[in-house]
Amino acid sequence: MTIRSLLDYREVVGPDIIEELTILASHVGSRSIKMINSTFTGGGVAEMLHRIVPLLNEMGINTEWEVIKAEDKFFEITKTFHNALQGKPVHFKKDEFDTYLACNEKNANEIDFDADLIVIHDPQPAALIHWNHHRKNRWIWRCHIDLSHPNKQLWEFLRPHIEKYDAAVFSSAIFSPELAIPQYRFYPAIDPLDDKNRELDVSYVKSVFEKYGIPKDKPIVTQISRYDPWKDPVGVVQAFKMARRYVDCRLLLVGDKAADDPESEKILEEVKAEAGDDPDIHILLFSPSIATEINAFQRGSDVIMQKSIKEGFALTVSEALWKRRPVIGGAAGGIPAQIIDGYTGLLVHSVEGASLAIRSLLKQQEIAKRLGENGHQRVKDEFLITKNLKRYLLLLLSLDRLQKHSTIFLS
Amino acid sequence: MGTAFQFLSSASLEKLTGRKAYNLNELLGLIKSCTESSIFFHTFSAFMKMRDIKSPYNNDFASWVYLGLNEKALAERLMAIDLKEYNTIKNLKGRLIEIIENHGAQEPGSFKKTADEPFYLYDIIRFVYLTDKLTHDLKSFRDTLKNISIYSVYFHFIESRVHTGLYDNDFSTWIEESLNIPDLAHRIRDIDINVYDIEGLRLRIIRLIDEYLKSTKH
Repeated sequence: MTIRSLLDYREVVGPDIIEELTILASHVGSRSIKMINSTFTGGGVAEMLHRIVPLLNEMGINTEWEVIKAEDKFFEITKTFHNALQGKPVHFKKDEFDTYLACNEKNANEIDFDADLIVIHDPQPAALIHWNHHRKNRWIWRCHIDLSHPNKQLWEFLRPHIEKYDAAVFSSAIFSPELAIPQYRFYPAIDPLDDKNRELDVSYVKSVFEKYGIPKDKPIVTQISRYDPWKDPVGVVQAFKMARRYVDCRLLLVGDKAADDPESEKILEEVKAEAGDDPDIHILLFSPSIATEINAFQRGSDVIMQKSIKEGFALTVSEALWKRRPVIGGAAGGIPAQIIDGYTGLLVHSVEGASLAIRSLLKQQEIAKRLGENGHQRVKDEFLITKNLKRYLLLLLSLDRLQKHSTIFLS
Repeated sequence: MGTAFQFLSSASLEKLTGRKAYNLNELLGLIKSCTESSIFFHTFSAFMKMRDIKSPYNNDFASWVYLGLNEKALAERLMAIDLKEYNTIKNLKGRLIEIIENHGAQEPGSFKKTADEPFYLYDIIRFVYLTDKLTHDLKSFRDTLKNISIYSVYFHFIESRVHTGLYDNDFSTWIEESLNIPDLAHRIRDIDINVYDIEGLRLRIIRLIDEYLKSTKH
């Protein structure tokens, strides 16, 4: 992965934004951060850390990233934790909690926690704090998952550990539980310069559509998402078929094969059955997909859909909005934070609503263009990596001052 | 020659409070009991965040009342609050309470409505800091204004009144007191912030300065 400099972002976000980041960094001074999570590869958290850690270092914040070491059994348990914290009914045995704690204790003894700010990501290393009673630095728990309806048994086990932290950070108010510690909101963010989002040559975009045999003879409606029931790909096909009675178009469904999700095969079969032999419906399955090709599919589409019924944050919405595409999103999870209905895209609640939205956007191109432009601005304001850098700097500044005042004059 | 104008800017860290409202009674309870910084977040900051979307809702309360409860008349009244008229959050808070209570007296049924999606109460920590931009005269002020961040424009024109306690924006104050150009200061003061986004505001101020500079050339 290319390591980028903060200056590379000047052209994207504007020199004024980078200048102000530099000013804030100068107020933070020579402080240090240690990020701790459970993996260097795979998943959005690792992807984000790969990008943000070098940028924080460039700004003079000495930032290290360390990963906990654990056996497969631990990760099997924490995967179940992940699902249970997002509401899946599971009953845990005592030995599962014991395995989790033993692994955290072992790592707590091996890791140096000498940075000014320790940021623990997600539940896997959350109990590390338990073995750091006499810490003098600040500890933050950054939760990237939806904790609005956590499994009661698991939450009762984890909560006492979480409430030892100085603060917790969530992606949205709707994801956060009640806690006795301060909570902050950090929206997830996309990197405008990575392969998934950077500008592409029109000829490359064209070549990708040709490569996969998708004619660009009529408008293309695209959903890029795993074949997962909560992303409602079957509903997307149904909405497309209803819309096409009024406007000629193609549907493109693009999804990665999830190795750990046996259900995805079943959903894919359902999608294919719903599509039948319709020549205007193109279903692609990757294992894994290539970032620049996903970028090209988004840029070459006339409308992007993310018709989720249940959702995490769905940064695919921000990716599409960043490319100035008109987006139709299901009103679930973090999607309404990105799509302000009628201003930065269209929110839908049903197959019928999605169908109507497709017709509206394909037939009213001026409106579609305006939504795309507004969406781009909304992402620029809230969902770019530079905004996340700013949030980390402000977090460091606020922890220094113990929040005695709601307005802090930096001098 | 008067004093120089050094541009400041501001940034905010958003705090989740875990508190929410599903109806007007609960919303009123939140407004009455929340911190002044929460009110700031849902009014002044909301104005900032919606700036390029040109949403009709210039504050989060109006937005939720309209979209969550479909109480359009109340949303319009909340929307009509002119932030320029408030130099303290306490007064603004009082006005919000007054508008909602009056609406309840006129339309008691509105307090029985429940929203599917709650209003989430946020709080905020504000950071105000100096930038390296400094100007001494109108011409250099105009040129610098063109290049400062929108956060800086926003701070001086809208936010700073709650810090200074003045019913005025910093630009007009400086132009009047340091440059002794009261006419231009008045014209900038009269800009209606509810019809411009921050970029529009910046362009409007620059245009007023250009017109003034042109008129004084002859």
